[in-house]
Amino acid sequence: MRGTAFSAAFCGGYAWALATKHPLFLYYPLRGDFRWGMQPLLGFDAGGPAMTWYGIVATAGLIGALSAICIPRGLSKALASYLWLFPLGAMVVCAFLLRRFF
Amino acid sequence: MLTTLLLTAHLLVGVALLGAITHQSVGLLRPSVIRADRFIARYAKVDHTAFTLSIAVLFVLSVLLGGLIYPNYRLHVRIPFEQMSLAWAVGLFELKEHFGGIGIGLLPAYICAWRSRDAAARLGLTLALAFIVWWNFLVGHILNNLRGLT
Repeated sequence: MRGTAFSAAFCGGYAWALATKHPLFLYYPLRGDFRWGMQPLLGFDAGGPAMTWYGIVATAGLIGALSAICIPRGLSKALASYLWLFPLGAMVVCAFLLRRFF
Repeated sequence: MLTTLLLTAHLLVGVALLGAITHQSVGLLRPSVIRADRFIARYAKVDHTAFTLSIAVLFVLSVLLGGLIYPNYRLHVRIPFEQMSLAWAVGLFELKEHFGGIGIGLLPAYICAWRSRDAAARLGLTLALAFIVWWNFLVGHILNNLRGLT
């Protein structure tokens, strides 16, 4: 049942981290550098493009892991049948946030 | 050369994953009224639980391989896409990466669902994962046709 709590919180945490721009860290592929998400962004000329995806997965993983420990077993069991709504909701949030591309 | 090898491995893992998750999904959706000698009945007549761990391992492998070649995409494909005003292609890839990330987080619940007897959880999570796998496979294919990694 810990897996259920982890996945539910991971999906919610992923959407939150993406919407509020809270990656745990950033990766600059041109320089091969990692920087904490809280640190100010390097300019494009100084660091090249920044990649947030690894950091967003890490943020969501951290939220999921903490929730798996904290969420009571009974609640996880109750969530299980409706858990598919969490990834669906997270995907809808992603699509909404990326609507500027289309 | 290394990127080409990784991309090919990513594709092959994706094909295996697509086959496995489709097999499992069809098995879950198969109506019970289909005659046993029909192709769809024989296709779906497998032990669906046997696929679960393979699907989880293949999904993780696929995301790991994708994660390894992602910086190369960011530098050598996305920037030209932006210069060519192909914002929709960038958007499709953004959705692919985020759906892949969500899929990784879904795997523990997916494994739990297949270990439990909760049919609704099995169906919902398997179909959600199947959607992600199909989306990511098709988008990857389309984008690679537009401008492949070398």
